Amino acid sequence: MRQPTIAALLALLAAAPALAQDIDAMSPEELLPLAQEEGQVVVYSFTSRIARVEQAFEEAYPGIDLIGYDISSTEQIARLQAEAAAGTVNADVVYISDAPVAVPALVETGILVNYVPPRVADRLPDEAKAPLLSNRLSTKVLMYNEEAHPDGSPVTNLWQLTRPEWRGRVLMVDPLQRGDYLDLMTEIVLRSDEMAEAYEAEFGEPIDLGDAPDAGTRFIEDLFANDVILVSSTDDVNAAVGALGQENPPVGFTSYSDRRDNEDEGWALQVANDVEPANGIIFPAVLGIAANAPHPHAARLLIDFMMGDDSETGGPGYAPFYVAGDYATRTDIVPHPDAVPLDEFRAWRIDPVATAAIRGEVGDLILTLQ
Amino acid sequence: MTQAVLDDPPLRHAAGRRRWLAPGTGLKLVVLGLLALLIVMPLLSTVLFTLTEESRGAWGDVLAGRLSRALFWQPLLNTLVIGVVVSVACVLLGGFLAWLVVMTDIPFRRTIGVMATLPFMIPSFASALAWGSLFRNGRLGGRVGWLEGMGFSVPDWLAWGMVPTLVVLSLHYFSLAFTIIAAALATVSSDLVEAAQIAGARGRRILMGIVLPVVTPALVAAGSLCFAGAVSNFATPALLGLPVRMQTLATRLYGMISVGQTARGYVIGILLVLISAAVLWAANRAVSGRRSYATITGKGGRAKRFALGRARLPLLLVAALILACATVVPVIVLFASSLAPSSAALFSNWTVHYWIGESNPAIAQGIPGIVHNPDILRAITVTLTLGVAVAGAGMALGLLAAYATARSRAGWLSATITQVSFLPLLVPGIAFGAAYIAWAGAPIGPFPALYGTFLLLVIAGTAYLVPFSVQTGRAVIQQVSGELDESARLTGAGLARRLWAITVPLAVRGLAAGGILIFVKIIRDLSLVVLLFTPTMPVMSVLAYRYASEGFTQFANAITCVILVLSVAATLLAERLQARSQPWLKS
Repeated sequence: MRQPTIAALLALLAAAPALAQDIDAMSPEELLPLAQEEGQVVVYSFTSRIARVEQAFEEAYPGIDLIGYDISSTEQIARLQAEAAAGTVNADVVYISDAPVAVPALVETGILVNYVPPRVADRLPDEAKAPLLSNRLSTKVLMYNEEAHPDGSPVTNLWQLTRPEWRGRVLMVDPLQRGDYLDLMTEIVLRSDEMAEAYEAEFGEPIDLGDAPDAGTRFIEDLFANDVILVSSTDDVNAAVGALGQENPPVGFTSYSDRRDNEDEGWALQVANDVEPANGIIFPAVLGIAANAPHPHAARLLIDFMMGDDSETGGPGYAPFYVAGDYATRTDIVPHPDAVPLDEFRAWRIDPVATAAIRGEVGDLILTLQ
Repeated sequence: MTQAVLDDPPLRHAAGRRRWLAPGTGLKLVVLGLLALLIVMPLLSTVLFTLTEESRGAWGDVLAGRLSRALFWQPLLNTLVIGVVVSVACVLLGGFLAWLVVMTDIPFRRTIGVMATLPFMIPSFASALAWGSLFRNGRLGGRVGWLEGMGFSVPDWLAWGMVPTLVVLSLHYFSLAFTIIAAALATVSSDLVEAAQIAGARGRRILMGIVLPVVTPALVAAGSLCFAGAVSNFATPALLGLPVRMQTLATRLYGMISVGQTARGYVIGILLVLISAAVLWAANRAVSGRRSYATITGKGGRAKRFALGRARLPLLLVAALILACATVVPVIVLFASSLAPSSAALFSNWTVHYWIGESNPAIAQGIPGIVHNPDILRAITVTLTLGVAVAGAGMALGLLAAYATARSRAGWLSATITQVSFLPLLVPGIAFGAAYIAWAGAPIGPFPALYGTFLLLVIAGTAYLVPFSVQTGRAVIQQVSGELDESARLTGAGLARRLWAITVPLAVRGLAAGGILIFVKIIRDLSLVVLLFTPTMPVMSVLAYRYASEGFTQFANAITCVILVLSVAATLLAERLQARSQPWLKS
């Protein structure tokens, strides 16, 4: 009993330095046996689709138990920081949407490390490889109820949401609870010039800023004054906007890709694309590995898996994300046939650095409006 | 030790207080050290955190400047409204029922008495969920509650925000007021009442002249405890308030910490503790001398009951209505909505999918029923283990603290132990949780940080319930005659030996009963654990809260039903073990 253990330990010690250098360069085939030895991989994921990834991953790689936790990006950041301060590591892989905060808070502090699977590295644009790997672009855009509005979106300009007919009928998740929504608010402030133009297009006169420093801030103030309804999760938005059989349904900001659940949930969600000046934001969903992850090989194998196989739709690993409304970062995965093509999609592409710079101020603004 | 043994035992009773101190002091210091570590240190570290260079600005943000209204003043106003209205309503409801049960000849007194203590066993978030299942309106679009499903239109003020919060909290905390007031009413001396009756005083006169003065301390104590409970309640305003943007200090504190604005959160937490403490302190001072809040002290003599006459039936109906709203309806609604796919049709299309179904992608995004759901099963295991661990640790600590102070109450050490052990009563659960994050979020000396560990949940739970465990311990210790302990001491038995061979066996029933009550308190608690919770260490109440806030109310309600059944069963067991006489039920 004793000798083999020591032998194994020695072998492991001898292998350790080589391991540390090579682990990022290993192919999935090389990772697999080591990952199976680890037997487990723990994921914090900002999307509930981790449950489907779990199923696919455990089918593809039996013997590795994926434990997925659906935790909002905002809470992930708070938790990961607290865990790091406490010196504990619970998660191996972190799947998070809030890049403007995640990069300074988690990557620059060394809590997360970046890993780009060598298998797909040559099929990714540079911005999808650093500072954190991104497998797809996600959205927070204006959605409406297709059943109630068969002729298209009832809203064609964001400023319409501040008009009396939309009073109490616009939903979004509390931006202080979900970072994606704070990013959306921040982007509106950053795009104040476009917002000012759109105001003039809607109301036929230049915007009167009042006490607000810019048009974006003014829009947010007006939106809150118009009784925007804050809820605690995107599913609340989806159910409220999308539920079938409503006469006068509200509109709301949510993920374009949640349209995939229309049939299962009895929704009629549709994206409002022709909206001035934009219908929302599009941003990367990023993957990282915890520094000192307890299951480093399984973590890398999972990220490799989530980037999709070599088929044109990415296969089972990418299947949960191959839906209309999510845009793959891999250049060789064909766009989803039902989706608005990316180059026609009206959402603003966020700039993580610019967003991070004024995000706190916008958060404080929202706080005063609540 | 040796000196104590040489003492002449009979003398010790009379004159030996000071000499007694010598052997007891070591134990008291140990107990005080433990309490300081468990209670004082976490609270202190929160304060210290907000005084560090980079966090100091948070005080300004919270108390003054453009954010302060949203961060503090508006939530403070809401919190105070909730505290005042709920405590008044609780004293009125609880006092009314206690009066009926203890002082009058109302029919079904025993049933009313038992039912009136039940709401406190229902977690307050369960009542909030039940409220949503009934009153939820179309403000959020999507699903509506049962009333709207039946075709009634529910206005916003009744579906969301302050009014439902007040109703739900009043119906939750009144049973606390009932217990305290009933116990006090039961001590009203029959001699006084009879004397008044002989002198020809009528019911009203007796009530105002004799009963009220005697129970006033209990009314104040009940009101202030209900106030403290209501202002710190997190789940109810969180579930019912967000859609109309109503914030209380407790929800603000949670919000700030969960988005990483820790310093602001801690400042709000400290202010919440101060408010709660100020109210309890003021109430305590107003009725000084009556420090024991919840102990039920019986008194043999019973006054003749007031004959209600023709008012019997109407009053019975009123009592039945209150109890139905507080106990029967929430339980039925919870159970029904764990079976109904749509809360708009609570009593149709029932399915047991949410209990025993396998994962089905068409229902609730494929979340399997609770008996197949690994998250929930793990949460049940963790919660039960936590309950048992906290109950065990709590009773051990309570027994130790009570033992150390029971036989010699004089001296500043005993006084300090008593004061510190009551401190958690002043601290809202959510603020206590925040304090533990501040304290255990980083390694302490040579020990690793406790954040995210099961041990942290156990320690925090034990510390939070110290007031209850010490009180139970004290009651138990006082039942055990001190002479037995002294005899053993004379034969040279050490502290551990004496505790183990004499006190524990004699007190085991009382200890078990106390332990079960602590178990119940911890398994249904949300406000303490909601911040300490980590995904790898799930507990039932937090899971239910999360399912509810993500719109999976059936799962939330099913988990809550499990908590409810466990709580009620455990409480009944404790009552039986304790064979505690409820003096107001005796006729």
